[in-house]
Amino acid sequence: MAEAQVPQQVGGAGWLRRRQRGPRGRIEIGDPFLARLFRIYIPVCFFVLVTLFPFYWMLITSIKSDTELLDFNQLPIFVRQPTLKNYEHLFTQTFFPHWALNTAIVAVVSTTISLFCSILAGYSLGRLRFRGANWIGWAIFVTYLVPPTLLFLGMAKLIQVFVLYNNLWSLILTYPTFLIPFCTWLLIGYFKGIPRELEESALVDGATRIQAMVRIAIPLALPGILSAGMFAFTLSWNEYLYSLIFMNDPISKTIPVGVTQDLIRGDEFFWGELMAAALLGSIPVAMLYSFFVDYFVAGMTAGAVKG
Amino acid sequence: MTNDELVEVFERDPELYQWTRRTFLKRTGALVVTASLAEMWAVACGGSTGGTNTATTGKAPVPRKGARIVYTQWNSFVPAGDAEVRRQAQEFGDKFGVEVVVQTITQDDLIAKTAAYVQAGDGPDVISMQYSWPHLYTSACLDVTNEVNILKQRLGAIHPVNDAYTKVNGVYRAVPYTIVMNAWSYRTDYFEKAGVSGFPKTFEDMLTAAGKLAKATGKPIAQTVGHAYGDSLTMWLPVLWAHGGKETDAGGKVTINSPETLKAIDWALRAKAAGEVFHPEWLDPDNNQAYHSDNISATLNGPSIYIKERDTNKKFDKVTDNAVMPGGPKGVFTMNLIFNQAVMKWTKEPETAKAFVLYQMDKDNYLKWMAAAGGYDIGPFAAINNAPVFQSDAKLKAFHDVAYDASNKPIGYWPGWPAPPSKKTSQAQAEYITADMFAKALAGTSPQTAVKEAEDRLRNIWEKP
Amino acid sequence: MSIITRARARSVGLPHKRPNPFDNEAFLGYLLLVPTVLVLSIFLAFPFIYGVVLSTTSTEVGDEVLGRFVALANYLFEMARDGVFRTAFVNTFSYTFYTTIVKFVLGLSMALLLNQVFPAQRFVRAALLLPWIIPSVLSTLAWRWMFDPTFSVINWVMNSGLHLPICHGSTTCVNWLGTPGTAMLAMMIVNIWRGTPFYGIAFLAGLQTIPTDLYEAARVDGATRWRQFLHITLPMLRPVLLVVILLSTILTFADFQLPWVLTRGAPYNSTQLLATWAYTIAIPGNQLSIGAAVSLFLFPVLTVVIGVVLLLLRRPE
Repeated sequence: MAEAQVPQQVGGAGWLRRRQRGPRGRIEIGDPFLARLFRIYIPVCFFVLVTLFPFYWMLITSIKSDTELLDFNQLPIFVRQPTLKNYEHLFTQTFFPHWALNTAIVAVVSTTISLFCSILAGYSLGRLRFRGANWIGWAIFVTYLVPPTLLFLGMAKLIQVFVLYNNLWSLILTYPTFLIPFCTWLLIGYFKGIPRELEESALVDGATRIQAMVRIAIPLALPGILSAGMFAFTLSWNEYLYSLIFMNDPISKTIPVGVTQDLIRGDEFFWGELMAAALLGSIPVAMLYSFFVDYFVAGMTAGAVKG
Repeated sequence: MTNDELVEVFERDPELYQWTRRTFLKRTGALVVTASLAEMWAVACGGSTGGTNTATTGKAPVPRKGARIVYTQWNSFVPAGDAEVRRQAQEFGDKFGVEVVVQTITQDDLIAKTAAYVQAGDGPDVISMQYSWPHLYTSACLDVTNEVNILKQRLGAIHPVNDAYTKVNGVYRAVPYTIVMNAWSYRTDYFEKAGVSGFPKTFEDMLTAAGKLAKATGKPIAQTVGHAYGDSLTMWLPVLWAHGGKETDAGGKVTINSPETLKAIDWALRAKAAGEVFHPEWLDPDNNQAYHSDNISATLNGPSIYIKERDTNKKFDKVTDNAVMPGGPKGVFTMNLIFNQAVMKWTKEPETAKAFVLYQMDKDNYLKWMAAAGGYDIGPFAAINNAPVFQSDAKLKAFHDVAYDASNKPIGYWPGWPAPPSKKTSQAQAEYITADMFAKALAGTSPQTAVKEAEDRLRNIWEKP
Repeated sequence: MSIITRARARSVGLPHKRPNPFDNEAFLGYLLLVPTVLVLSIFLAFPFIYGVVLSTTSTEVGDEVLGRFVALANYLFEMARDGVFRTAFVNTFSYTFYTTIVKFVLGLSMALLLNQVFPAQRFVRAALLLPWIIPSVLSTLAWRWMFDPTFSVINWVMNSGLHLPICHGSTTCVNWLGTPGTAMLAMMIVNIWRGTPFYGIAFLAGLQTIPTDLYEAARVDGATRWRQFLHITLPMLRPVLLVVILLSTILTFADFQLPWVLTRGAPYNSTQLLATWAYTIAIPGNQLSIGAAVSLFLFPVLTVVIGVVLLLLRRPE
């Protein structure tokens, strides 16, 4: 048990301390190049290669013509006559831009709602002392056990009762069910990590508890909030089942559903367009991460460690 | 009170049970009926909500000006066919001052959506249902007996498979719509090279052909033995039937464990030994792709392979032909993908919805659609089963011949035959029990064990209390 | 110290501060939970309770009302008579177990690597997250295409690129999705490919909270890298490891999209998982209540497991 207590002590001001140290971690001095080659560069290359190969394959597939796609007498991992026909098709023959817009709206709004709920819940469970807090935290986590493959039927009933079928709100309101638990859990840890003294001195100065929360605790928890937000955004960007069930009009679908519903026809797959859409659909999220990946890590830090 | 006692009480007094459930779930607006009475209710209530007389042909439905209806169907592999469906919907709308919205869903996802609609009790006004769905969702489908009777007068007899699927307890729950046929597409050049003249007429001849093809060309006859929705059972149930095997008898007694079934499995094993390739992992697109990429010499499929070669690929179109299912000791058996149009009970515009379905089934409109669809399907009524498209393209003849024989007599069976279509047949179909039996045997399990397992699984369905 | 602060605040009794219910920790605590509880109980509790009720009846899709109440008969039926259920049960466990182990090892290695300084670090971090970002339906389709017996680029690389002897010079050397063992393996590979980045990033976050002085002290004492890892890194990471494993286990247990798109249970149900089997029975098979029973089968066990893990994680306050 002694070991378990150590990180909590450290985590107390974990992210503050890391800030001082800089985000890069420790620098090893006097490390010979050859050792670094085997210990770092080669494994990194291995990871990058394995991770990115499917993406390379998708890219190659998306710029191949139909005939080249099915021709394995030639080198399949290169493309001889690249074509942008599949991308063109995606924009002229399908509602891809609409799907992208729908997906973005749903992801942004459901993330915002989830963050609002999780910040309050995280603060409550991580910061305030009251009976039943642990039970509630457990219950929120347990909701992940509820299997969505069957839930969707009950959910469909509910959406019908609320007259939300074919309405983006049906997604905006249901996505938080699988976003809030993780975000709350992350933020509980984060709020626990912020030194109490900061808030308490504000209380002494006459601030109300809510003012202390809004002006001190929440701004200090921003990295965690950002991290939770990115997590939520990613999950809602990729959601499939609810979107499939609740949205009907071709124009009002989200990317994963619109793409599969329009580009899989009977037993014919339009591979080129499918892969083009998969890549294009991931770009916005990928951009988000390439800018904010360090913040994402930093935000996970306290939350993850404090559990 | 123990659970058994509870069950007893509920059975004695269903109202009480329903009432408790209803209060519990706050299902306001739902009619109070018992599960055991559900089917009787469906008969009685469906007739009255439809507002039609079930016995004789009543008046044709008249669309209401200003109505808006939504129609959902699968996403077919011929985009031009879907475009024609949309055009006709638009035309119908313009003619009667109605708005018709057409939604298309991928074949594999359509059942999940339909189930959700039925559970929620709301959704599109007309759903294009596949196979036995009218039997599954009976209480959600309006009685369309009147409309079917009108069509019978206009177009003649219904194909018996569509008839079996649409008629539930004597009441039509859907309007017969179409049949997407399953036949063999094969490469004439490879067959020639291997010295095989024409596609084999019997399963025994197929063994010889498969051997020659594999040896001479290296391009095998190949088919799925997996969980492909449209291609797997359409192969393996006919193989079973042609050798005399049956999942159950007409009354639902499980009869799969028979010498005839073993004969069918034996054929599959001999075919494999001869060089025919059966893929347990293939889903519906895989045999298409293998064919288009020149990897196989023949496969059983819908018309999509041929139509794609003919219309867009144009690589092997000259050397592709189609052939009907070979026969076995018990004759020739075929199975196709069946579609029927159900008007859903939650529609606010039942008359408009029914009128739209009839509009689609108008002979001229139907033939126009078949022409646009390039022959991927065939009409389930006598007057629309030999469309011009089958005359203009001789290679489509085989697809015609798996639904109607040379004398234009309807042929074909449904999964679960000879038992009539029901929830039980469709469960056996959904679980791919027969395909799994063949797949296991082909993978090396002893045929007896494979049959025994299939028998157990079928018993679980048919003999469940 | 905080107690002293608060005691002082109270004893000073600031005159302008009236008693405010929002300053009551319990009151505020419950109040702040209202939105979360509201959202979860409306959109999750109802479908969940509905599912539980379904699983104890004999309801089918399309039934106007719930079917007969059968208590646990559906659960017992599945256990006693459904051979596919037993396969799915075993598969779900092995699928979850093996992928979790591998994701754990790879994720930890990835985190240790990413915690080093090297060029293009930010690019590498973002790139390694990509599998987790892309919609899984589409990435799994791409994998299916890569495992395809006819077009497997993996086989092509193994044969023509690497000339592996197992291929015997044929591009169809491994029928990935065609035999039970390799099909399960393929499913696990895709799951690992998709899941490892999240492990890596979460562990990296954990690593960054470990103070460097601990390592410096260890180095002074002459501890090897391995011993440092064993005695500092692992213990310090324990909480984050547990939580990530817990979360990932739950999500892997319920994995539906991936196996459904990749194998759909084939060959002959050997890759069926509880989630895919539940769906097959409930939706195409129409046996709604049995499907509900299958998918809820493990709920009680997992609930307890989560309770225990969270209890272990809770710090003594």
